[in-house]
Amino acid sequence: MATENQIPPLTPAVFHILLALSTEERHGYGIMKQVEKDSQGKVSMGAGTLYGSLKRMLDSGLVKESDKRVDPEMDDERRIYYQITGAGATALAAELARYQRIVTIAQQRKLYPKTFAYDV
Amino acid sequence: MYEQEIVQTLYKKLLALYPQTFKEQLGESMERTFQDLWKEKRQTKKDLFGFVLWTFIETAIGIFKEYLLLISPGVIMQTTLKTLGSSTFIGLLLILPFIIMEVVNRRNFNEDFPVVLFFAMWLNLFAVSSILLPIVQGKWTSNPDMANPVPTQKNTLLTNPKSAALISVVLILAPGILPLLNSVDWLSLDRLFNGPNPEVEYLPGLFMTVGLTLFPIAAGIIAGRPVVSTLRAGGSLFAHPINLLIVVFILSTFAIGFANLIIDQWPCFIGVPKCD
Repeated sequence: MATENQIPPLTPAVFHILLALSTEERHGYGIMKQVEKDSQGKVSMGAGTLYGSLKRMLDSGLVKESDKRVDPEMDDERRIYYQITGAGATALAAELARYQRIVTIAQQRKLYPKTFAYDV
Repeated sequence: MYEQEIVQTLYKKLLALYPQTFKEQLGESMERTFQDLWKEKRQTKKDLFGFVLWTFIETAIGIFKEYLLLISPGVIMQTTLKTLGSSTFIGLLLILPFIIMEVVNRRNFNEDFPVVLFFAMWLNLFAVSSILLPIVQGKWTSNPDMANPVPTQKNTLLTNPKSAALISVVLILAPGILPLLNSVDWLSLDRLFNGPNPEVEYLPGLFMTVGLTLFPIAAGIIAGRPVVSTLRAGGSLFAHPINLLIVVFILSTFAIGFANLIIDQWPCFIGVPKCD
């Protein structure tokens, strides 16, 4: 298995998509809504960005299409659900560990939370 | 309901512009997502026009990006765009001393600032820099752009040494069709570049000249791609001799062009009156 240092940092779009898929399988619209929710409305991903990222994530094996289909009466077959893969979960964990380390450094330097070493 | 049908049909037509593989894999899903978003915006009575405009523009940008990625892998394309930005800056920086010399030494002469001359100087330096910079970076640094999560790079037309060399040769030779057409009287080069009145500066002619200069620049960048990839992977500079030869030829041409301009205009830069 690839170690954390071997996994390159993720782009913000890929990170948010993986985070949205970490709890359950979702379709495109569901991912968009979850990203908005996770970022408290600060990140609004358009269809071009979402599906462009999904294409590359599918190609690189970070996500895969799910077999999940809800009741056809409530939904239609064009709705494709995506699920995170093992590689995707590893990449997400590595990215979160990177963030964690940055937060720890910020705390050690008293930059966070809201404690600055100098007047700003 | 009628406007919904129109907008959705237009969006479907827009999605049809995506590359074939993308369209087949994600087209229908995107269409469905657009319908979901439309429904949501209608229900919440949010700005529908703003939503449609933003979605269409954002999707169009996405389509453009997919085509760029199709002709060239993501990492290389992003690096190339960065290189072109750096080359623009390097070119400007290197002609700055000559601009200063021109301004300082010719301030007492009642002359127009030679914009075209400095543009030509910049273009030569831009060409040299944009071709040479990736090779130097490839030699001395590892892949600088690790933000793209795609781990593998596909062998495309532009990364395969043979096809890259072929494309660059075609690009070098392509402008040669103009003198050929001129020689058989199918086209008047003089009229094309100087316009109907040679006494008056002809802007379309200038644009065409710049456009034709871009061909060898693109040829140099494309020919150099396999060289850069090999260097990045720790290989030899001479692994693709034909590509390297094309790159050296184009680089020399632009470097000589720049040197000629400097030699020709040097008296003007140092303030010699009636230097032309």
